Amino acid sequence: MDVTRTGPIALAERRLHWLDQRQRVLAQNVANLDTPGYRPSDLRPFAQTLARSQSGMVRTNAAHGSGGLGGDVRPDRQLVERTPDGNGVSVEDQAMKVADTDTAHALALSLHRRFLTMFRTALGRQG
Amino acid sequence: MDIESALRISAAGMNVQGTRLRVVAENLANRDSTGQSPGADPYRRRTVTFANQLDREIGTNTVRVSRVGTAQGEFPLRFDPAHPAANAQGYVRTPNVDSLVETMDMREAQRSYSANLGVLEASRAMLTRTIEALR
Repeated sequence: MDVTRTGPIALAERRLHWLDQRQRVLAQNVANLDTPGYRPSDLRPFAQTLARSQSGMVRTNAAHGSGGLGGDVRPDRQLVERTPDGNGVSVEDQAMKVADTDTAHALALSLHRRFLTMFRTALGRQG
Repeated sequence: MDIESALRISAAGMNVQGTRLRVVAENLANRDSTGQSPGADPYRRRTVTFANQLDREIGTNTVRVSRVGTAQGEFPLRFDPAHPAANAQGYVRTPNVDSLVETMDMREAQRSYSANLGVLEASRAMLTRTIEALR
């Protein structure tokens, strides 16, 4: 059994990858805080991304959405505000998401580390 | 790598806000720059526009300064017959710079700059944690 492909470690890895991607998307939103006509985007929620990749769908064409490790980037549907120049980025909203991503990253990483320690202990080494 | 792109994107965001602050400084510095001769135009207010553009180096969209243009609008008149740029009626055309508007623009640039800095710090913390996981 390959422990990195199954179970909590693989799940934590996927979560970390999703969080990395989300941080990139959020950084892009914040950088475009004053770009006229810019609409913020976000990733498809992690639970949905996971459910889609486990539903047994096979990617038959490279042009189709990547159901792999990452989530799909899509426009943010719940726009909080919109300025007269057409920009829809709310700095408070983005700050909250960044904080969320940061916390979730710390959690996923400690989970990953904890499980690796468990395996090391089972192998008879001190983690 | 996504986190590194996030760092670069935030840096680009801070960069454009820096350019915006430079333009604000330029406008405020030239608030009283009138023409030298009766027909000459005074200083015209400059504006910055941003655009979301593809950065080929990191392969994702980042923000760039798309154009530094000039603001249209009437030049306010001031009565000063002794001025070299005064017209036949004794009025001088002054720059269309409003210090209140510039101050507001400066505040907004500061706010956006701090927002980018916040994201940069969060991304950096994530990166540091990931590196520490290797130990």
